[in-house]
Amino acid sequence: MKTKKQINIFIVEDNKIFALALKSDIETSFADFHVKVRTFETGEDCMDKFKEVKPQIVLLDYHLNTQKLNAADGVKVLDWIKKENNETYVVMLTRDDNIDIALQSFKHGASDYIVKSDTQFRKIIFSIFNIFKIITSKSEAKRYKKIVIGICLSIAAIVGFVLAIQIFAPSVF
Amino acid sequence: MSKSEESVCDFKYLKDLVNGKSDLIANLMDVFINQVSDELQCINEAIINTDYKTITRYAHTMKSSVSIMGISKLSPVLNKMEKLGKIETDIEKIKQLNLELNDICTKAIIEIEKEKHNY
Repeated sequence: MKTKKQINIFIVEDNKIFALALKSDIETSFADFHVKVRTFETGEDCMDKFKEVKPQIVLLDYHLNTQKLNAADGVKVLDWIKKENNETYVVMLTRDDNIDIALQSFKHGASDYIVKSDTQFRKIIFSIFNIFKIITSKSEAKRYKKIVIGICLSIAAIVGFVLAIQIFAPSVF
Repeated sequence: MSKSEESVCDFKYLKDLVNGKSDLIANLMDVFINQVSDELQCINEAIINTDYKTITRYAHTMKSSVSIMGISKLSPVLNKMEKLGKIETDIEKIKQLNLELNDICTKAIIEIEKEKHNY
């Protein structure tokens, strides 16, 4: 499955080495796709670029205030993203295996919630792949919808034309 | 390193992440060394000041940092530090754990510096 359109992915993560490693893994795993990955240390930095780029996917860390104490936390940033563009898929990342955080994330509009563990990168790549499938399916559904509407309109036009001839020039048939 | 000393890093994890690209591996190693050195300094200062909140924050974040180099020995150490930091208790135990943390990180940095020459 390949997408023709460029997919923009933001990583919002205050742990620099983790963000770089994740970026590398995504670029390696999706080398055949048109993927552009950008990393940000805070939600504030992310939102500055968000309006310009409108990423399809955001990988968002729950705890964003290790380095900068006043940085907004993951849920707040999630709210900002959803307010700006509700279509953006947000995957929440955290080391806390906590059902309350998971529920909170989904309640605020996250598409997925991944606990950072030994298999963290596999889980993230799998989540992104699933989102790609959804994006592709939605795009194809839109295309088929347009085709069906086009066919229906054509049929309606033909039927209307035939009716018009029957009414105004019945001798034709 | 002598045969009796176990290595603390697992570079296979890192190599798989970047599909063996040498420049990326070297860059990640440099970032890791700088970042972990800073994080250790912050945790050490927090312990001197008995700043449990900072200890908790950095113990939490270091779990992600050390995972990149496959330093699995540090997971239980950082988990315990984070737990004790959250309930703001037993600073002496935290200090002991911190000694172990610093020791393993120092060994890790030495291993990484050696391994870097291959890239």
